[in-house]
Amino acid sequence: MKDVRLELRNRYAINMLLMFVFSALLLVLFAVGQEPVSERVQAAVLWIVILFSAAIGLGRAFISEEERGTVLLLQLNTRGSMVYAGKLFYNFLLIFCLNLVAVGAFVVFLNVNIRLPGLLLLTLFLGALGLAGATTLLSAIIARTASRGPLLPVLLFPLLFPLLLSVIGSTRSAFPNGLGWSAAVDELLALTGFAGVVISASVLLFDYVWQD
Amino acid sequence: MSTPPTINLTRYRLIRNGVFVWLTLVVLGAFSFGGYLLNIPKINILEHTARNLYFHVPMWFTMMAATGVSAYHSFRVLQTGDYVRDIRARAAAMMAVVFGLLGLLTGIVWARFTWYVSADIWWNFDPKQSMAAVQVLIYGAYFVLRSGIEDTRKQARIAAVYNLFAFVTVPFLLYVLPRQLESLHPGADGNPAFSDITHPVMRLVFYPAIIGFIGLFWVLYTQRVRLALLQRRVDHDDDLL
Repeated sequence: MKDVRLELRNRYAINMLLMFVFSALLLVLFAVGQEPVSERVQAAVLWIVILFSAAIGLGRAFISEEERGTVLLLQLNTRGSMVYAGKLFYNFLLIFCLNLVAVGAFVVFLNVNIRLPGLLLLTLFLGALGLAGATTLLSAIIARTASRGPLLPVLLFPLLFPLLLSVIGSTRSAFPNGLGWSAAVDELLALTGFAGVVISASVLLFDYVWQD
Repeated sequence: MSTPPTINLTRYRLIRNGVFVWLTLVVLGAFSFGGYLLNIPKINILEHTARNLYFHVPMWFTMMAATGVSAYHSFRVLQTGDYVRDIRARAAAMMAVVFGLLGLLTGIVWARFTWYVSADIWWNFDPKQSMAAVQVLIYGAYFVLRSGIEDTRKQARIAAVYNLFAFVTVPFLLYVLPRQLESLHPGADGNPAFSDITHPVMRLVFYPAIIGFIGLFWVLYTQRVRLALLQRRVDHDDDLL
């Protein structure tokens, strides 16, 4: 949708997110120092960084519409579900690129080696889908509140526990000491289900948030 | 908008006092020992802390009930836009937080002084404990969200959306958590099933305790609903002043 083109034009969100990811990773790097980090901690740090940058960056989706005053136009011209689909697609692309960059930076900085790139890629894909599904509806919600910005993490994090545990589990499976595909199937199924349920619930509930 | 519901006060008081008497009996039953009628059998490790069963477990049942009631009324808010539904959803959510915290507290204390006496651990990563903590967090966020919106109708609708949205993600916790964390609860890997460790005598108190605490939930919940309705009348009705 037009969001992607707009984003390509001014690159505000993507630049901000990339800077956030890099600085967070560098902080982790300096904090950890030379110590080798266990795989569980590696996976946990990676996803915590991703979650926080998502919580910061993705909240913009609907607030920017309110600020530019385009909400009314969209409400009149398009159906709610179309708006939702557009925002979801944009958020998903954003978070997926972010995941790829974060993993790349992770590999370089923390000397992580990945045994099963395919599994990791699938995990990143499904994780991004679930994350985008959850944040899109919530960012529509916070665009309706008075305080806006800082509210998104508060609303988002309690919902993400199942997602976080599953992605960490299947990320670990992709590492050298991990258990590989067979162990990750459960987690991948849970991720698929999470993304599916979150997105379908959002589609059903979106109209109530969108219309005045 | 509908008219506020009429309340049959006599019946209400009758049920409320019934619940209080019932709970008193439950507590008496729970603590009767030393040769009196409901002496519990000796269970390995648990011993007398098994009496916590009468309090800890009903808290979860009650929290689940409160969560369900809250989600149902949130759904009806979206359907009808009725403010009474919103008041009910909010009161039930509040009760879910209260009983969730009580359940956590009883659970933590139980685990600390039964299984972790020497380990000095307060928080253990039990799936059910973690789930309750997440559930309490969700309702915390729900109340924060409510206070962030000024317009009452918008507040009702958007809070309902969030409540339902959070409600659909909870089953995933049920699915994901037990795979990753160990549990102290009966029925989990290697632990005896619930029916193996509970003596019929304990069930004599346990089942009434569940009913009693759900009744307590009902009393507190309806009281909060009535309070909120009266508050609303004070705010909106000019004839009262």
